[in-house]
Amino acid sequence: MLVYYYDGTFEGLLTSVFEAYERKEQPESILPPHASAGLFAHTHEVVTCAKKSERVWNGVKKIGGVLTCEHLYYTFLSQEEGFEMHFLRYCQHLFTCNRPVMKDLANADVLKVFQLSRKVGREAHRILMFLRFEQAADGTYFAPYAPKYDVIPLVTGHFRERFADQTWVVFDSVRNYGVMYDSKNDTVEKFTINDPAFDVETGKLQPDAEHPEEDNWQLLWRTYFKSMAITERKNLKLQRNFMPKRFWKYLTEKRI
Amino acid sequence: METTQKLEILSAAAKYDVSCSSSGSTRSNMPGGIGNAAKSGICHSFTEDGRCISLLKVLYTNYCIYDCAYCVNRRTNDVPRACFTVRELADITINFYRRNYIEGLFLSSGVVKNADYTMEQLVGVAKTLRLTYKFNGYIHLKAIPGASPELIKEAGLHADRLSVNIEIPSESNLKVLAPEKDYRSVLSPMSLIKVGIEQNKEERRHLRHAPLFTPAGQSTQLIIGATPDTDKQILSLASNLYHQNGLKRVYYSGYNPTNLYDSRLPALSAPPLRRENRLYQSDWLMRFYEFRVDEIVNDEHPELDLEIDPKLSYALRNPHLFPVDVNKADYHLLLRIPGIGVKSAKMIIAARGFRRLNSENLAKLGVVMKRARYFLTCNELTAATVQDLKPEYVRAILTSPVKKGRVPDAIQLNLW
Repeated sequence: MLVYYYDGTFEGLLTSVFEAYERKEQPESILPPHASAGLFAHTHEVVTCAKKSERVWNGVKKIGGVLTCEHLYYTFLSQEEGFEMHFLRYCQHLFTCNRPVMKDLANADVLKVFQLSRKVGREAHRILMFLRFEQAADGTYFAPYAPKYDVIPLVTGHFRERFADQTWVVFDSVRNYGVMYDSKNDTVEKFTINDPAFDVETGKLQPDAEHPEEDNWQLLWRTYFKSMAITERKNLKLQRNFMPKRFWKYLTEKRI
Repeated sequence: METTQKLEILSAAAKYDVSCSSSGSTRSNMPGGIGNAAKSGICHSFTEDGRCISLLKVLYTNYCIYDCAYCVNRRTNDVPRACFTVRELADITINFYRRNYIEGLFLSSGVVKNADYTMEQLVGVAKTLRLTYKFNGYIHLKAIPGASPELIKEAGLHADRLSVNIEIPSESNLKVLAPEKDYRSVLSPMSLIKVGIEQNKEERRHLRHAPLFTPAGQSTQLIIGATPDTDKQILSLASNLYHQNGLKRVYYSGYNPTNLYDSRLPALSAPPLRRENRLYQSDWLMRFYEFRVDEIVNDEHPELDLEIDPKLSYALRNPHLFPVDVNKADYHLLLRIPGIGVKSAKMIIAARGFRRLNSENLAKLGVVMKRARYFLTCNELTAATVQDLKPEYVRAILTSPVKKGRVPDAIQLNLW
């Protein structure tokens, strides 16, 4: 059994695709570092190479177009266990057919890539829906969130365009990193914090770090949220369908 | 009065307006401004009744000179009344927006003094938001029936969507419940907006930077169950509105029993939710599934079947059209198969360009085979379809409550 090890990066994965082609072999699985390959596995270490990965990526772009690239990149962001082999076989199918294959949905790998990318896209959209900013004492708008997939790269553009005149921070509390947008210079910067000034459980800023008017706006929002519900039509199951409970802990109107 | 209290009163008074969409507009942010419109629309929260909150939906005021039987804000009702100031409302909108609570503002109002005065207030709020606050998010304004054409035009320059509510699906019944109103005052602003939108489209074809006029179109709302109007009347009206007035959406609002002391209203114990749901399904059939209104309801079937959805009902009434071969049929015909939606129909068309599809492929593409299997054939030996079984039998199978882990039409063998 042949197993490829790659470094877990997107470039590393593309390099693996290249090497499988170059070495004329088909691995049984492609694993990130620290994953266990099993007892009798014959392993090959893939060394990430910018040149090789670029060649693969350019080929994908040329044959498949932008949409194919998007599907594959989103699939990578899903980080679902074993997604690498679907990724590899999708690329191989694409190069064999030499035309876009994203519509060949009866092919198991194409379907899987399509479904994974849709999952990631949906999660990104949910972040646009359920992210809640709180104003800090210095005027910065701060929003923690805990997404299933690493979707920060997919949502910054939206907030950058929309909140161009305010300084904001979006923080992924699962992966422990965030981005900060500076409205003066129109720049987005990545950062990590070790000692957060907010409650990780509720996402709430500590009282002294909070803008004096913040509580007032939150109260208004909760008032509004409550008074919009029509009691005769109460349907909590429907509410949970649309707004899964895993988002509640950071929602101003839902957290305790 | 405190802002919190006002917000409580004026949002509770607005909640029976069901329109919530924030889609269809492409307004972008401008330098130094705040906000933009997302083409697909974004819901930001869901209330305990499962309805979405996308916009800050409030009345400017719930004082009203009218006395419509179906409305909570009728002038003879003894409810707390309030009125926002322009500043207050703009501040709430901006601050909610900055915290990603909402996509924008949905502003309606009770009629105070007269239609023009009320409309002026609404336009004033939109104008302040756009010009003073440089707000480029979504704004949905109500056009007040009877307001002057100039004001409606000005509203259209600032709003993304305008709507005039018809409320009662036939004029004769409107006369019973709201004798002070008539259809003309609703339909004339509607056609005014329609003309405005068409002119604006033409203008923008020549001048790319001509100011937008109601880019997300107009919508309206019908109240269901407060009058004896049939589903056929309701859906025919909706169909007309879509085709002749170019409306983007017609909303159906199941009548929520209020003002029960009024003998002109039916004595309901709860809003007719099932019927409302079937009407929305029919509405979707008209807008996305290429159905004509007379295929859904007609003189023989003036009312929708509450037990099964309108598409299944159509299929069972027209068994001669089935089974459909999914590997050959065109998009239009695929959409008629119960269990196949817009998405799966498109995926089928895409996928069959590569290979013939079998039932396993279909299930993976998201086709609900439980229903669809009686109405289609694919690349394998066919099971019993609606042609072999009788429509009544298929109906019985699909409506019988299914116990978990048991195939509904399998016959249990008896040993003794």
